[in-house]
Amino acid sequence: MVNEKKLIGYTCSYIPVEILAVTGFKPYRLLSGEINLARAGEKILKVDACPLIKSNLSYILENSDKFACIVGSTGCDMARRMFDCLQELSDIPTYIINNPRTDKPEIFYDEIDWLVKELEKLSNKRFEPELINYEIEKWEAVRNLYRQLEAGRRLQTASLLSAAEFAQICANYHRGAIELEIKTTNYFNPPIGGLRKSTKPSVYLIGSPIPYEAHSIIEMLENEVRLVGDFNCGISRFLNIKIQNKDLAGIKQAYYKQIPCIYKRPNHDFYAMVGERLKELACQGIILWTLDYCDNYEFELKRMEKTFGLPVLWLRSDLSFQNKSQLKIRIAAFAEMLRQSI
Amino acid sequence: MKEVLNPRERFGLLVIDEKPDRCNIIPLITSHSATVYKIGLKEYYTNGKTMAKAQIAAIEEYGHDAISIFSEVGIIAEAMGSEFIYPDDDLPVLKSPILTKVDVFALKVPNPQKDGRLPIYLEAIDYAYSAVGDKIPILAYVPAPFTTGMMLSDPNQFLLATIKNPNQVKAIIEMSLKAAIDFCYEIINAGGLPIIVDPLASSSVISPRAYQEFALPGEQGLIQFLHRYDFDVILHICGDTTPILDLLLQTGADLISLDKVALKLAIEKLAKKMRIIGNFDTTKIGFGTVDEILKETKAMTRIGMRAEKGYIVATGCEVPIFTPTENVKAFIRAAKEAGWYWD
Amino acid sequence: MPKKIGLSDWSEQFKLVSVEQIKKFTYYHNSEWGIYLSPPATFMVYGTRELKRLKLDNSFAALRLWGFVFNESERLFRAKQIGKKVIATMGDLGIVPVIIMAFPDCVPFYPECIWWTPFFKESTVLLDTATQLGIPEATCFSKATLGAFYKRAYFPRPDAIFASTGASCDDYSCIMQLVEDLGYEIVWLEIPLRKGQKAYPNNASGRLEEYLIGEYQRVWKKMVELTGISNKNQLIKSIKKANQLRNLVTSIKNLTYEAPKAPLPGLELMTIEFGNLYGYADIEEWIDILKMIKRTIEDRIEKGLGVLQEDAIPIAWITPSADPLLLNLVEDAGLRIVQTEYVINQALVPIEEDIDPFRALARAFLQASLIGKTSERVKRIIAGVKEGKIKGVLITNMLGASHCAMETGLIMRFLSAVPVLAIDVPQPFGITEQLKTRILAFAETLKH
Repeated sequence: MVNEKKLIGYTCSYIPVEILAVTGFKPYRLLSGEINLARAGEKILKVDACPLIKSNLSYILENSDKFACIVGSTGCDMARRMFDCLQELSDIPTYIINNPRTDKPEIFYDEIDWLVKELEKLSNKRFEPELINYEIEKWEAVRNLYRQLEAGRRLQTASLLSAAEFAQICANYHRGAIELEIKTTNYFNPPIGGLRKSTKPSVYLIGSPIPYEAHSIIEMLENEVRLVGDFNCGISRFLNIKIQNKDLAGIKQAYYKQIPCIYKRPNHDFYAMVGERLKELACQGIILWTLDYCDNYEFELKRMEKTFGLPVLWLRSDLSFQNKSQLKIRIAAFAEMLRQSI
Repeated sequence: MKEVLNPRERFGLLVIDEKPDRCNIIPLITSHSATVYKIGLKEYYTNGKTMAKAQIAAIEEYGHDAISIFSEVGIIAEAMGSEFIYPDDDLPVLKSPILTKVDVFALKVPNPQKDGRLPIYLEAIDYAYSAVGDKIPILAYVPAPFTTGMMLSDPNQFLLATIKNPNQVKAIIEMSLKAAIDFCYEIINAGGLPIIVDPLASSSVISPRAYQEFALPGEQGLIQFLHRYDFDVILHICGDTTPILDLLLQTGADLISLDKVALKLAIEKLAKKMRIIGNFDTTKIGFGTVDEILKETKAMTRIGMRAEKGYIVATGCEVPIFTPTENVKAFIRAAKEAGWYWD
Repeated sequence: MPKKIGLSDWSEQFKLVSVEQIKKFTYYHNSEWGIYLSPPATFMVYGTRELKRLKLDNSFAALRLWGFVFNESERLFRAKQIGKKVIATMGDLGIVPVIIMAFPDCVPFYPECIWWTPFFKESTVLLDTATQLGIPEATCFSKATLGAFYKRAYFPRPDAIFASTGASCDDYSCIMQLVEDLGYEIVWLEIPLRKGQKAYPNNASGRLEEYLIGEYQRVWKKMVELTGISNKNQLIKSIKKANQLRNLVTSIKNLTYEAPKAPLPGLELMTIEFGNLYGYADIEEWIDILKMIKRTIEDRIEKGLGVLQEDAIPIAWITPSADPLLLNLVEDAGLRIVQTEYVINQALVPIEEDIDPFRALARAFLQASLIGKTSERVKRIIAGVKEGKIKGVLITNMLGASHCAMETGLIMRFLSAVPVLAIDVPQPFGITEQLKTRILAFAETLKH
């Protein structure tokens, strides 16, 4: 097959971008969060489907000629069922990997092998070790750079890189635009006179994916709090991927052993690992961002409050952001509460 | 301790021989609920919805574990023709028993949907069941055949007849049994769990021999009917039942509500086969101090919890109509503090 | 005359049942507390409030069925009281209990079946409890399960819990996680996605079978630890028993669907279908009840009798209704259920008896309703529509349930040859006149 199409869409953090990139197509994380697209998705999906899924579905269908294929996983039930819709409504090849909920590395590794075989057929290319190695080096280098940038956010002095800016940079990664140059000099050289210490409370962002169009929520948050870290698809969650051995086995291990999604069962490791992060970053509070009907996170609100022992502000969204003023007030109140408790 | 269950769940566990979070607490709050609801007694016992609302108000006030639909033991006799006086500030009083006018063989089994105040009871049950029946059991107190028999007759003549004309008494009881069965049938269809009350069968009124010959068969007949439905049947006999404790085992009742009996003795004799209900002194709850009630209820509860098949903290008989609410609250509070099964 | 009757008619009819008959039918062969033949009024008095409104089949066999089913909660407690081990199996809907029943005195059950309880009781108690424990409002009614685990009044503390998660509904996976957080120890099992022939051309489902076999062997190992017994012959026998039940139910369904007049109502049929999951905690007695049901149906068919009008319009029903009353309403509107897809296909298909038992169970599970594509789920219904046997389709959804949100639109597309009505089952006691009107309008559409 000739590489006419440019994008290989994917839906899940467990899908190795390196493998997708070996095909020669550009890996494109499906994070469409446009409210009109979400509403268009309701032509086939019910109103109580996840808005991200609705938007992604519409986006793919409207831009089907851009995609060579779409790759998904069984991570979230709605995300994998989107593929049923795609198979019915479009001709785009689709592949779903069984991403085990329980601790079953053998299933995951088998599924990656299967995905490789399928993508080899699609791209008409053998996934030679050198090609895999090349992509690993490339993407690891990008992730290392991004990790340095991310470290800037964690400085106790005011960061030169706001979370909103950082999220935009991460969006490049997710869109596969890793060749774009990031002018890092500004981020690493403090201004004359030094940096002022931030007085805002430090909080951690957890929850549903942050779509490309929803970065305004990060700006809103930053007006009141310092976002010192996140565990959201769409921002910096991918930085947890560290591939030690630069081969297919290394890819499998790194992606399997990343900080697990909250839908893993049991999800103690999620709590343990995120809990460690919260302590490292000396977080004072948590922002739980969920999209409507995101069961995997919504169900866990009380557990988070109990397990992490930190105040949690729950923000729920249908992607419309019609309730902006209300959100601002709530965020401001949360920040005030955190300040008073310091 | 935090309550996990609602009364319906709590009672449900008791009757399948499981320990609920804490003891069921069912003081016999019947007409006293009119006091809680701040209405006159006559309004209470002549209007089904009002009766139910008063009961619900009592539940909201006290937090005990059952609705008790009841006013007085003459309800079936009244439907069969006995006349009662209805004072505004007291319960109905027997004025003219039907059997002083007609023969027992002229008695008719009443229609619970139409006769006397039986429909009022049914309306009360139906209303309470719709309002709170998912969370709270609806108990409907049904006079047993012997007690009804006495309300159909001149009481003295009736008692005399147990010696002089036993067949007459048995005929009366047989008719009363039919009436009670039909009433229970309608109570069940309305959503109530029938409780059999036989206060006039206690040893305070009749001898153990009379109980065995007359009252016991009536109770057994009614309990057998209810057992067809696989109900766990509560039998309440207030007064002194010490002399007939062994006979109570023959009734077939699954739960026995007692009054003037030493609780420890009752447990010793009955608790292997029956669940025990009781038996706080109603005089004390009516007139005692809060401190006394707290202390004695806790002590009683601790004893009662030793009952093998289960225990319900209750008063020995009906809570007096004008009992101060703080007394009832003290009783329930004490029972809740002492009556925990779960950690 | 066969018909559906209400509570008071059933009480009247129950007068004709003798004490001998009442005592004859027991569970666990216990005559002291094992009697279950009671009229609907008994259960209504104990809180099953919807029985005041529901209409049930008037046969003696149906009396046995309902008494047995409504008695289940007590039966589970009694099981534990007499030394049986009560094992909660969650999520897989149909296979793990077959393994459990290979061990002596082990009683499996599905806590999620408690999702009917709020509707039968017309009570939001369990749902409210689940909300207090952190479950969002708009969630599948199976959240009642969390309330039940918390309260410990609907089933005894299980001796073991197996929870299957993976390519199935997310709501329930989240609920199971919260159950674990209450302090229950859970053995987690993986449900793989069924990708089918195209995905694995050389070995259609071989890899998936191996995964599942591994999981079932883990179940076996845990049960051996629990009981101290390991006898694979018993697993073979358990499969045979499960097949006996499945075959019986299949024949009941086929007889009912194909009869000119429906000999059994849809509500009883749904209850019968779900009995395949675990025999309502006494599979022997349940099979006996079904044999009686089958005889009743055969007798009615022979006599040309039925419980619905002869011109009742045949429909298929997709996803079980949490509210039993809906089945009454649909039949009252002049419709008749002739095909179902109740998310439990894995509990209905026969289990192969001539291969390794674990592989047989794996293969049966791989036919599960929710682990593959939506189109596979509705294959039989599509065929029924093409054959003209199904004139319309009713889909009952739960607001917030992940598979409902995603599948309904597709299903309507696949079945576009006939009218399809999709409704969100409302909260307990929440069926409005508006919903009734929609059902009537749907029936009218089908009539014309």
